[in-house]
Amino acid sequence: MTIADVIKKELIKIPVVATTKTGVIEELIDLLVSVRPNLDRDELVSAVLARETLGSTGLVDGIAIPHAKTAAVDSIALVVGIAKEPIEFDSQDGKGSQFFFLVLAPEQESRSYIEVLASIARATNSSYMRRLLAASESADDVLALIFN
Amino acid sequence: MVEPFKEILVYLDGSEDSVSAAMAAIMLANRLEASLTAIYVVNTRALRDLVSARIFLEFEEQEYQRDIEGDAIRYLNHVKELGQQKGLDVKTIKTSGAVSAEVTKYLQENNIDLLVIGGLSEIRSRRDELLSETDRMLRSAPCPVLVVRDNDEIWDKFEIAPSATRSEK
Repeated sequence: MTIADVIKKELIKIPVVATTKTGVIEELIDLLVSVRPNLDRDELVSAVLARETLGSTGLVDGIAIPHAKTAAVDSIALVVGIAKEPIEFDSQDGKGSQFFFLVLAPEQESRSYIEVLASIARATNSSYMRRLLAASESADDVLALIFN
Repeated sequence: MVEPFKEILVYLDGSEDSVSAAMAAIMLANRLEASLTAIYVVNTRALRDLVSARIFLEFEEQEYQRDIEGDAIRYLNHVKELGQQKGLDVKTIKTSGAVSAEVTKYLQENNIDLLVIGGLSEIRSRRDELLSETDRMLRSAPCPVLVVRDNDEIWDKFEIAPSATRSEK
């Protein structure tokens, strides 16, 4: 399983309007819950923030991959967000994060969870891809990057 | 008659498709009087990459590795039992590393002449970095590859398939 198997147009937010780390996580989870209203919003936020307290998922070059394994979802969910400007996310390089890939996975899907996370890391590893992400103005633009 | 395949390998990843592939491989091995090995590769390469990128913390690496090792044992045992139901002794291999590379290595080192894999996902991306492990295996295997589709039909056929009746060599 890769990012191409789980990315959904309706779960891509451009631009992200929040200006804080917690705000970004809540905004992306709110989008997820608007599409899948059976999910427990507060439980999802708690799961992701709890994981962040162990170590920030703000990486380098503007990429952040907040994630959590939780019984609150029954299948892997990916929410993508792109902010116009970098947002402070406790990232490894001390710079802000601009491209967010929030991944939630049920307890029993460890293998798929790892594959999806690893594929996001591979896909965002090139500066070319990051430049194209930065230039994306719509969900369709992001989908075109992944599928074309 | 010389049978075309004597050493068959089926790749298991815990998906329903891979279990169907195992059922098809058991039926085929019995029909061809071939040996069958089932392999499960714990993707420690992806785990290490996630730790290197600091997407995972070390405790997460250990936790997920334990989970997947457990899955590997469970699925390999399941396929061994399926083989026993049909009178076939399925050899099982649990290994770790980069999935497609480990499978390719096993194919080469053990003179496997047929690889059986579950259904490939539809082509979603042309990006090489987003190829699935089964896609990679299909492309890199040094031997013929059988892709098993249509789970329901395979499961129905497995139900009624006879047990092994091997000829005297």
